[in-house]
Amino acid sequence: MFGSLDISTSALVAQRTRMEVISANIASRDAIIEDATGNFAPYRRRMAIFSTGDPSTGSAEGVHVSEIALDQSAFRKKYEPESRYADKEGYVEYPNIDPAMEMINGLEATRAYEANITAVEATKSMLQSSLRILA
Amino acid sequence: MIQGLFDNGAMPALERMVQFTESRHRVLTNNIANLSNPYYKSQDLDPKSFQATLAQAIDERRRTITPTAGPLNVRDTAELRFQPGSLHGQPGEVTDTVLKHDESNVDLERTMQRLAENHLAHNTAIELIRNQFALLESAIRERT
Repeated sequence: MFGSLDISTSALVAQRTRMEVISANIASRDAIIEDATGNFAPYRRRMAIFSTGDPSTGSAEGVHVSEIALDQSAFRKKYEPESRYADKEGYVEYPNIDPAMEMINGLEATRAYEANITAVEATKSMLQSSLRILA
Repeated sequence: MIQGLFDNGAMPALERMVQFTESRHRVLTNNIANLSNPYYKSQDLDPKSFQATLAQAIDERRRTITPTAGPLNVRDTAELRFQPGSLHGQPGEVTDTVLKHDESNVDLERTMQRLAENHLAHNTAIELIRNQFALLESAIRERT
């Protein structure tokens, strides 16, 4: 019975990790990352990849984030010839992040989190009624 | 003697019922956990086949010399392995839901409905067990 709580918790952790990735994407919407030697590249969109199973408990049930993958789609191009990040044609590459898509994914993660909270509440209620046999 | 107290009346059936609802709860929780996991296929333990095998066991006990007492001999089904004091479920894949574009077929509404039903069935069984114990207690204390 406690195994059900482990399963729901693994999903809560996974959905929260997904939410963190989404927040990072939204926050870095216009970020261009430059290192000390002057090389620069726009921030690439990150995605949390889910897999079944829960390595923290070694169970085949539950879910976990197996990888934070990079989105290889094309960067947004803006015509800004005065920018120091501009290429020969005067275009600056910005991250491949669409805020609308991130918001929708965030909403989905929130709802999935809530569904798992409901499952936890059901588990707790079942545990509590089982314990009442003793009382 | 003390085993006779617990193998009496509805108690063995209720015990199996609680074991089944706990196993099924685990399976349903796992479906909800994998809600946004592509390629995940929904699983379930069929309550109908459990009820059929339990009904058969109760019928068989009814035909013995002690129709309302004694342990139940519940037969295994394709999904369920009954052992004394425990139950092992091998959940089957659900195939009657819509397969979405991410190759997952978890139906959240259906799963939540099953979770609620299963939750209530579990609490009902527990409540009935409590009732049986209360009866025993009043017999032991010789009071009503």
